[in-house]
Amino acid sequence: MNDMSGDLSTPDHQTITACSTAGKLTARIIRPVRSVVAPPLLVLHGISRNAKTLERLFAPEAERTGRTIIVPHFPEPSWPDFQRPSKAARPDLALLALIDAVTARLPDCAGPVDLFGHSGGAQLAHRFAMVYPHRVAGLHLAAAGWYCLPDETMPYPYGLAPGKDSFDIVWARRNAAGLRDFLHLPTCVYAGTRDVSRDPALRMTRDLDARQGRNRHARARTYVAALNAAAERNGLPPCAHLIELIDCDHDVERAITRNDLAARVLDAPRVAI
Amino acid sequence: MPFQASLDRAKWTFVTRRVERSRIVRHDTDFAAARPGDLILAHVDKLGQHRRVQLPSGRPSFIFPGDAVVMACGARYAPDQFEGLAEIDPKGADQLAGGGCIGRMVARNSQIKPATRLMPAARLLDAAGRAVNLADFALAPRPGAPRPPVIGVLGTSMNSGKTLAMAQLVLGLRRAGFRAGALKITGTGAFGDYNEYCDSGAHYVGDFTDAGMVTTYREPLDRIKTAAELLIAEAGHQGCEIVVMEVADGLLQRETAALIADPWLNDLLSGLVFASGDAVAAVGGVAILARHGLKPDAVTGMLSCSPMASAEAGGATGLPVLTRADLADPAEATGFALRAGLGRKEAA
Repeated sequence: MNDMSGDLSTPDHQTITACSTAGKLTARIIRPVRSVVAPPLLVLHGISRNAKTLERLFAPEAERTGRTIIVPHFPEPSWPDFQRPSKAARPDLALLALIDAVTARLPDCAGPVDLFGHSGGAQLAHRFAMVYPHRVAGLHLAAAGWYCLPDETMPYPYGLAPGKDSFDIVWARRNAAGLRDFLHLPTCVYAGTRDVSRDPALRMTRDLDARQGRNRHARARTYVAALNAAAERNGLPPCAHLIELIDCDHDVERAITRNDLAARVLDAPRVAI
Repeated sequence: MPFQASLDRAKWTFVTRRVERSRIVRHDTDFAAARPGDLILAHVDKLGQHRRVQLPSGRPSFIFPGDAVVMACGARYAPDQFEGLAEIDPKGADQLAGGGCIGRMVARNSQIKPATRLMPAARLLDAAGRAVNLADFALAPRPGAPRPPVIGVLGTSMNSGKTLAMAQLVLGLRRAGFRAGALKITGTGAFGDYNEYCDSGAHYVGDFTDAGMVTTYREPLDRIKTAAELLIAEAGHQGCEIVVMEVADGLLQRETAALIADPWLNDLLSGLVFASGDAVAAVGGVAILARHGLKPDAVTGMLSCSPMASAEAGGATGLPVLTRADLADPAEATGFALRAGLGRKEAA
């Protein structure tokens, strides 16, 4: 099932391709010279599909922390939609296959992964973790445009109310099935204090603006509050934490170079906050 | 031909897969003494419904008049084929199942041919003169083995879609990252289901034959329950995190009916899928299960091929109706695993 052909000549940066019913997904694996016993970090790009940039910016952190970092790339031709499981695409299946392929090649990477996503990647990251909480050790979400709230205040895909479309009914149920486990995940939500633009890439509807906020910064706050409220309703300690990136806008490169976003992700406490 | 040579040239059938052939050193023709599970050497007399036998290797073999076969004496309950008893008539016996069940046919579905006739040649004995029985080669108990949670698969009838549902759910669980075992705890030994579970990527596959029975029809309920516990323990020992377990035939079949009425099954199951051929049967089956305190998590089976039948069943039962693709979808399968307690361990 998994294509194990990869560039084994450069042990610190390898390429791996995983096959699934949803399609192929290729990723770069950054292996530190000295690795520590810790989950690998899966880094998901946003709609700019800047996997190479993320690989370059996270590489020093792999060496510094001893963590293995996996950076998949969803190319536009084969993955025009990748931000969430939808009728059009199932990036979740590709990610599962990728994790299995990495584990097959690198047995020390077995087990749940830490998951980081920026923008559209954060969209995919939190939705993947909701459905497959057993495959995720920790969650790091930066600047998602909007979220699937862990409650029934909004219909799926904005929340877990069933909605009317049969696809959305099924997926609301699937997301709800793992909710309690999902709420256990230590979750860091990163929001730039200047990420308040209502740019064309931001999904804007009257209901979404009203329920989640008018910009990414506000929506991150809403999401963290919703996660912790849901945890409380389920008798669980709050596990979500909002981390504000001062003077940071929506640019992930600036967030990493000026606000140490990559370092913060890798240095985050590995237990529920 | 010397007896041992005849035995060596015989086609040993799938249900004999666990047998240590070196244990067979004697034989007799006291067929009246044959009990369920006893090994019988027979010769093919006249071909009927079964023109092949299933080999332990997992492939079918054509049989021809005169061929020697080794089967286990057993009963059979298969509404689409035969009902048979574990009795060996020295003048001629019936091949009740391709997996290697020899007995006496007492009823036949009118749409199929008469059973293939077999001429019993010998009852196989060990050095002490005891009949060699499949039970001699059952799995050893695994005391202390981890006990994985169990998802049950029940259905309205034979061919309602249980095996496909099992295999697809195992596939979905595997894709989701779980080591899933596939068990069949009732029925008649055959490799069709067994192979399908293996193909779907089950981490461990076992059936009642591994617990020493050629068939569970007319076996005592306690023996079937003990066998199921044995198989679950073996799955846990083999590293399965979760088990998907099929109970054969329909809810009204003798052993299945007894099992669903037994609180043991309700206590055992952490989830339940119900396969049905049509919507009315689904409603009836769900009602029968409810009388015993069993509530499926989902309905599936042949009816799921039809959006209209699915809508009828879903509307009438209030349960989700899942297609084979749904069950094989890790997003769906994960829900079964998490509901079964495979999520995060919480402090008591």
